[in-house]
Amino acid sequence: MMFHTIAFIMGFLPICVTGFFALGRFCSARWALRWLVACSLFFYAWWHPAHLPLLVASVVLNHTIARKLVHTNRRRAWLTVSIGLNLAILGWFKYADFLLHIVSPNAPALHVVLPLAISFFTFQQIMFLVDTSRSQPALTASQKFPSLLTYASFVTFFPHLIAGPIVRPSEIIPQIAAPRLALPNIENLTDGLLIFLLGLGKKLVLADMFGGFADTGFDAAAHGAALTYFEAWYATLSYALQIYFDFSGYSDMAIGLARMFNVRFPLNFDSPYQATDIADFWRRWHITLGGFFRDYFYIPLGGSRAGPVRQTGNIMATMLLCGLWHGAAWNFVIWGGLHGLLIVIHKLYRRLFPALPAMLGHALTLLVVILAWVPFRAGSLAGVLGMFRGMAGLNGIALPRMIVAAFPPLAAIADPVTVLPFLGDARTLSFPEISACLLLGWLIVLTLPNVHRMTDRARHWTLTSSFALSMQALFFAPHVAPFLYFQF
Amino acid sequence: MRRILFACAASLLIYGAAFTWLLDRPLSLGALQARIEATIAVGQTIHEPKLVILSGSNGPFSHRCEAIGPIIERPCINAGVAVGVGLDYLFTRWKPLLHPGDIVYLPLEEAQYVRPRVTADLGPDATIMLRHDRATLWALPIRRKIAALFAADLRAVVMSVIETALAGDGFRDPRGATNGGFNGWGDHVGHTAALAELNRSTLAEIVPVHPSADQIRTGYGTVLVGDFLRWASQNGVRAIGGLPTGFIDSPISDDSVTAIRAIYRDESAGFLELPNRSRYPRAAFFDTQDHLNEAAQIAHSVAVAGALLPLMDRSP
Repeated sequence: MMFHTIAFIMGFLPICVTGFFALGRFCSARWALRWLVACSLFFYAWWHPAHLPLLVASVVLNHTIARKLVHTNRRRAWLTVSIGLNLAILGWFKYADFLLHIVSPNAPALHVVLPLAISFFTFQQIMFLVDTSRSQPALTASQKFPSLLTYASFVTFFPHLIAGPIVRPSEIIPQIAAPRLALPNIENLTDGLLIFLLGLGKKLVLADMFGGFADTGFDAAAHGAALTYFEAWYATLSYALQIYFDFSGYSDMAIGLARMFNVRFPLNFDSPYQATDIADFWRRWHITLGGFFRDYFYIPLGGSRAGPVRQTGNIMATMLLCGLWHGAAWNFVIWGGLHGLLIVIHKLYRRLFPALPAMLGHALTLLVVILAWVPFRAGSLAGVLGMFRGMAGLNGIALPRMIVAAFPPLAAIADPVTVLPFLGDARTLSFPEISACLLLGWLIVLTLPNVHRMTDRARHWTLTSSFALSMQALFFAPHVAPFLYFQF
Repeated sequence: MRRILFACAASLLIYGAAFTWLLDRPLSLGALQARIEATIAVGQTIHEPKLVILSGSNGPFSHRCEAIGPIIERPCINAGVAVGVGLDYLFTRWKPLLHPGDIVYLPLEEAQYVRPRVTADLGPDATIMLRHDRATLWALPIRRKIAALFAADLRAVVMSVIETALAGDGFRDPRGATNGGFNGWGDHVGHTAALAELNRSTLAEIVPVHPSADQIRTGYGTVLVGDFLRWASQNGVRAIGGLPTGFIDSPISDDSVTAIRAIYRDESAGFLELPNRSRYPRAAFFDTQDHLNEAAQIAHSVAVAGALLPLMDRSP
């Protein structure tokens, strides 16, 4: 079930919230948690019920192992085995075909169906295992090991189950175990609802619109079409906006939903396209994933403590893994590798030179981040090269005749054409339409504060401007695009 | 919570008011509306038995009333607009102008039979009705009224601003020079074979999509056509179905033709089927499989007119 569907908003959510607080008020917090777990499992099973046993088994197994970790003297061995087991399951479902193809390119594919959210709930539980092995005192507020019910509530909690944020057990479990969790809090309910509705707008109104523009260009490039300069750039700029609005919209919806249940999730996006350098970008983009890789991979590898050469290796390994986490395909590895390289170059530069002026740093960061989205989206090497060829102007620069007629000097650089065939709906007015939409989208991401930095008044104004369009898309759009991050 | 509810209510009110009274798309939807109104205006001036062609753009591009009228010896109006314009809207607009003895020829595109209701409800006619033709909207079911109120997305807002600015600036669609225009009967003219050369590579690559016979039988458009055929029968109007033009290398399957024919025959309406089932070589087309070039349009129209003659005399 997806957050931006009628079934979820009109059916699942009201029933789940009402049942949770009714049980909390009239029965007990334990019953409310049981209800929450049941709802979360139903939410998960909606997509593919056959994968529900895998989630349940994973939760029970990891809780059992974690309990063992608390009491055993051989923590390191148990931890290694448990992490290995989690990664083996993840590897089988997500990477079996990819690895098989590397080892034996001609072998028939296994066609393993990827269980929804496996990357997220696997990482979530690895965090819990590692934290338990480190005996973090903050693991539970009462210094008690969480019960299976509390643990299951934490892992399966539907707001973050499918696509994150990847929350820290030490941040969330104490909130879930809090005695007043299941008592309604009007402030949290209204704040949560407001954030949810704003996230819904980002997804339905903005992300899906830019997704349509991006698909036209990238699909054409994938089929070997020679995109001209503006077609290629507009598709890439649209994709950069689509993935931001899609995933940050999803994260806002998740944060809002959790808030309705009196649980505070950490910030996951902090206006990443306003970053002034690539390291800053990664402090703002998918913050919880970046935090996971930093604390559970990069730092255990040695981080920056073992000298610059080792640090470079650690950065590259971390970012390559980060890329691979997004999917079992070379385009994600290339994307991760590119970002790793950019971080290494940035660190090297900062050792030798002073920081660039903020404006220049911002522009340069934005440019490389946008360029790196090309391999992430294109899917095939031919598609990547085709898109870069177009962006470099090697397939020519074409503009609609009406634009050239309005600005005659453009004739010196652009061929006048009736329509650009790979731009939007390929209509006479597609060029000004997409230009205006891109201008609007980039103005939003570059100049406005994000939902979490807005004043309360600004949030309500934003809701006023977006709610009707969200409802239009929710109830009347003939096609609902899934969240991009569901595939990861 | 009160502030959220107020913001939501304000949003809906502003949206509804903006699209009902303020925002407009004078170029794209304006052109469609102008086409509809122009053919209806012609229809209003004719007080004798007439032939009306209702379809998508296959009507004006592949049929020529200018050629058909003299052969069947009655005035002909080419009232096809675009495949996206709702059939219920088109029928509702034309019903008051159809009288006993009139003939309606329906060479509908296959997509018009199978277009889902949710898509049809949000077609360009929804916005046109909300902004300029509320009388027709009022005559349609409540579902259509609500859909018309919520037919516009953010792109529509953006396009409204752009089109209003361009229209104010006297913008003219540059495609007119490469596509041709319309004559007084509603026929598209000037889309010559020479101009079609510009579209040769596009035409060569088009792979037409044909809905299955089952999709045609159960399609929402089929339901609307059935309703219209019953209305026509009850009001002394002779309705005749037909096949749209298309590539000879991409024929409509026998099952689908049978399904289309059955829609009309089941309601005792006529059905016109040329020996070639309106299939022509790609060289006879202008820019899509629904648009013949001008020479082929005239030849096809002569063939259609000849086939219409024996069907015209039968009482509805």
